[in-house]
Amino acid sequence: MSLLEVKHVSKRFGGLKAINDVSFLVKPGEVTFIVGPNGAGKTTLFNLITSVFHADSGSIHFEGRDISHLTPNGAAEIGIGRTFQLVKPLRNLTVLENVMLGAFLRTSSASKAEKEAAKVLSFLQMENVANLPARGMGLPTLKRLEIARALATQPKLILLDEVVAGLPTSEAIKLAMLLKRLPEWGISTIGGIEHVMQVVMRVADRVIVLDHGVLIAEGVPQDVVHRPEVIEAYLGSKYKEIAL
Amino acid sequence: MRKWQLLIAVIFLVAALFVPLLALTDYTLQILFRVFLFAALGLAWNLVGGYTGQLSLGHAAYFGVGAYGLALFSKLGISPWASVSLGVGLAVICAAMIGKVSFRLRGPYFALCTIAFAEVLRLVAKNLPNVTGGDVGIQVPQLFPHSTIRCFYWSGVLLTGFALALSAWIERSRFGYYLMAIREDQDTALSVGVNAARCKLWALLISAAITGLGGALYASMFLFIVPDQVLAMDISTEIAIVAMLGGAGTLIGPLVGSVVLESAAEIFKNIFKEAHLLIYGVLIVVVVLFMPEGIVGTISRKLAWFKKAPSAPFATAAPVTAEEESQRTAINQ
Repeated sequence: MSLLEVKHVSKRFGGLKAINDVSFLVKPGEVTFIVGPNGAGKTTLFNLITSVFHADSGSIHFEGRDISHLTPNGAAEIGIGRTFQLVKPLRNLTVLENVMLGAFLRTSSASKAEKEAAKVLSFLQMENVANLPARGMGLPTLKRLEIARALATQPKLILLDEVVAGLPTSEAIKLAMLLKRLPEWGISTIGGIEHVMQVVMRVADRVIVLDHGVLIAEGVPQDVVHRPEVIEAYLGSKYKEIAL
Repeated sequence: MRKWQLLIAVIFLVAALFVPLLALTDYTLQILFRVFLFAALGLAWNLVGGYTGQLSLGHAAYFGVGAYGLALFSKLGISPWASVSLGVGLAVICAAMIGKVSFRLRGPYFALCTIAFAEVLRLVAKNLPNVTGGDVGIQVPQLFPHSTIRCFYWSGVLLTGFALALSAWIERSRFGYYLMAIREDQDTALSVGVNAARCKLWALLISAAITGLGGALYASMFLFIVPDQVLAMDISTEIAIVAMLGGAGTLIGPLVGSVVLESAAEIFKNIFKEAHLLIYGVLIVVVVLFMPEGIVGTISRKLAWFKKAPSAPFATAAPVTAEEESQRTAINQ
């Protein structure tokens, strides 16, 4: 059975078709990456899955249930966590408190939330900054903080929008290695990524390629990167040489 | 830091309970009542305007409804204290209706909307002479028959203590975290499952209940109220300024703000006569310019800075382990 099922979803903003008849499945424990250049519709797709926007047509099912008309907080409650492309930490709180905020979704006790938050922080190797305010942190830490907060809500599916954008390659790959371990926790992942193919190739079980809101290719990464239309449209001549 | 704040406040409030035992004039006690009344109102406002970051400039609505509730229900023959509770209930119902509409707006639009509702209530009270007495005013029953002014003073201190205890509890609860999350970034709050609309409304309901109770106490002390006194914009701004001066979103900020502002207002009134409003204004400008986080907010930030300066500006998590390093080179090749 599939965890998430996106069926013929379309969304337009005025004259712009941001998402055009997109369908795909996500299986439990799978890492899917949505690849596409800036403006391809990755973030819009995430916003549709988390009910920030509602689709004009088509439907989205999570564990067999239609979630097309939920609220953003309702999506978090049923087990869909997300991070934001532009990091949105609560700057005046400490890193630990930021993560506790996520953990509060499953418990009302502050001490239990703190325990859960500490567990997530240790998984993401962030114990050393736990008690510092989020205000002073650099981008690598803030990116991890986004993930930590989402993980603390104990999601079944986590949506990571541009999870490695702006990170140095070494940090991006370190993070990718951590993400690869998420299925151990029973969490499926959908990552959105523009061009850091090293991470995609290493981590993704499946890749979905978007172009101007249209799904143009889908499959295992090794296969997808060899398709001519993908190489032409996305990866450019440099990767075309390497790939073919 | 927070524990210290709480400790200072508790000692201060306990000490304040014994003040009437000193031989003070009724006039002084009346001023001190006002200090504590506005401390309680500031603390109540702080739940919405401080922790949740929703700038309400219409708290006079709940204050006035509490005051008029006491007057009108007791006119119907209900006992004074029962009228107080009914008035508080009415303030909460008003808050539910006002909140439901105004929380759809964000930022300055929300603030304008709260002002509008308070003004509507003031104009309604002015123009229903058969019910509210209109501009002529209405009589309010006496809540404390004996040693009146001392009782008002004590009830002011107790209300402040209650509001402070409630704030301290909320600050460390899940509800408090949710309120702060909404202030910092509402989209983030939603993404971790916070029902922002419901949390904001609850904060406002609690705030309105305390504000309504404060309004009833205030009305009963003057024994007579008119719309321009208890439903005025002045009340709304004074409540907000008390909290912001002391430090919005800090635990004891409103208490400090009220002590500073109310006593300064009184002292300046006595010394400088008509010039006191000018000095009052200058004081506010100085605080806004040099202490935008309020007195308590600024002090606690300075202290934190001394304690563990400098916080690493680009702190990064976790050094690369040998294993990861080898994986990385493997990928890059």
